[in-house]
Amino acid sequence: MPYILQQLLTESAKGRAEHPAVWARGRTLSYRELDQRSNQLAHLLRQRGLKKGDRIGIFFPKAVESLVAMFGALKAGVVYVPLDPNQPADRISYIIGNCGIRALVTIADRYKLLDPAAIPSVEFVVFAHELSEAFQANMIPWSALDGFPATHAPELQATTTDLAYILYTSGSTGRPKGVMLSHQNALTFVEWCAETFDIRQDDHVSNHAPLHFDLSVFDVYNSIKAGATVYMVPDEIAVFPASLTNWIVQQQITVWYSVPSALVYLVLHGRISAERLPQLRLILFAGEVFPQKYLKQLAEILPHVELYNLYGPTETNVCTYYRVDRAILPGMDKLPIGRACANTEVLAVDEQDRVVGVGEVGELYVRGPAVTPGYWGDPEKTAKMCVPNRFQANFEEKMYRTGDLVQPDENGDYYFLGRRDNQIKSRGYRIELGEIEAALLSHTGVCEAAVIAVPDDEVGNRIKAFVAPHQPGSMTAVDMQQHCATKVPKYMIPEVIELWEALPKTSTGKIDRVRLKQPRSLAAD
Amino acid sequence: MTEAGSIKARLMPFVMENAQSKGITKVDDDDSLTESGIVDSLGIFRLVSFLEETFGIRIGDEEITNQNFESLRTIENFVTGKLAAKGEKAASR
Repeated sequence: MPYILQQLLTESAKGRAEHPAVWARGRTLSYRELDQRSNQLAHLLRQRGLKKGDRIGIFFPKAVESLVAMFGALKAGVVYVPLDPNQPADRISYIIGNCGIRALVTIADRYKLLDPAAIPSVEFVVFAHELSEAFQANMIPWSALDGFPATHAPELQATTTDLAYILYTSGSTGRPKGVMLSHQNALTFVEWCAETFDIRQDDHVSNHAPLHFDLSVFDVYNSIKAGATVYMVPDEIAVFPASLTNWIVQQQITVWYSVPSALVYLVLHGRISAERLPQLRLILFAGEVFPQKYLKQLAEILPHVELYNLYGPTETNVCTYYRVDRAILPGMDKLPIGRACANTEVLAVDEQDRVVGVGEVGELYVRGPAVTPGYWGDPEKTAKMCVPNRFQANFEEKMYRTGDLVQPDENGDYYFLGRRDNQIKSRGYRIELGEIEAALLSHTGVCEAAVIAVPDDEVGNRIKAFVAPHQPGSMTAVDMQQHCATKVPKYMIPEVIELWEALPKTSTGKIDRVRLKQPRSLAAD
Repeated sequence: MTEAGSIKARLMPFVMENAQSKGITKVDDDDSLTESGIVDSLGIFRLVSFLEETFGIRIGDEEITNQNFESLRTIENFVTGKLAAKGEKAASR
């Protein structure tokens, strides 16, 4: 039984050496190539002085080299941090500094966006391509890998509780926070998937989610474990539903995993049909609530495909699942998030610290080896979210508080009701409204700012902001959007920004968000 | 002004508004609109509605592809083609 993630690759490389492991933009790497290239990168990282537990950043749009970087890091005992290639440099630099990234694997086109002075922890940079111009000693072209041993990885004493990767998610106080994930965290999920979904050697597994988003953990590691091929969806195709369907047809995708909003667009505009997608056998979705209306349409259009709703925050990866039952789907008002995955337990706990019964509402707590050890460099936040298990006293153990309010039904399935806080989902992205407010407030001309989510059938939520400048008339909504673009990812930039003289307050002097959600004529009296 | 030129002139303010809201101040004819994030999964349908209204054309789902919407130039070519097809249809009536 594998206990560290890279064993999945070395195992598959033995029996499936010449089979393609990964496809991206028309290029593939066989299992042998991926195994050997990642061995070489691991040796390079070691030779440059990286030690077990050090961090590297992976900062380029998805390519076959993404997997080399991930496995190369793991084989060196190094923790990898996928960095969103489309995020503002300011946020990337913050993350690099926050977890002390010592090396980057990147491409020139992205690296040039970063100011080396803003990322002093970075000692060297590996480019996932050749370098034509003269380069400095700390800039290493991809061909340098050729000089390192390909047939074996460096020696590594690793355990399953070592960190494998850190995924940064939106933080309510204005800065992203790094969720630490161990090999065990990931493998708990991967093993459950292998049992449940039976991914096979001849599967073509899609990778739609970005690599900094934990949906990609399924795509990459389950495909590699099975000796199958993972197909990375090119970013520019993901935007166009009809192109995306054509791509799914051409690549003969058999297993699809994405946020529901991507599937909603395929239902509405992608011209999908059972005739065009006969090879597709499994669709998994997670990250937000799938609107029932569109799920029913999807189930009708693709009657031969098994559908699963997966649920879980980055801190636990998937912790509950529900297999869509077509016999009862037409009469269902709401889709459950289901029940706990193998090797995981979930509890709904009310405000009196009591585990709730059928039909009652509580916050979902998760326990088991899938749960994160915590947030990088933030013991306070970790203590707040990863709390001692008060429901058994035999040994010390942590549970993760999801912040999600749920309700169990008589079958043991849980239903998601909403959040306890200001976290929202838009197109599956997890967003803290507080991070956007902090971005707005960081503009010197802004006096007050508030951000609300406007529920939307197709994308979950749209983001709307209210800003009161110090001097009325001193700025426009577009100015504010441009300012946000330097602070937060594009999917967090408010679609609509209203400028007000002052924001409405509650009796306690706080910004009145309830009134902001009402039409302006009512809110601005 | 050529017809293609006038298409671009009418398209530009809409694209620039979207670009600016993402913090991008300059868009060249061949810049990828998806790579820069000017057109994303939400924005593409706003752009399609804008083109349909502005140019009086009907754009089918099968035409909303990266080939047609990759850059200002490809959109211009696409709209030019749609307008020509529309003109032929009208002329043959």
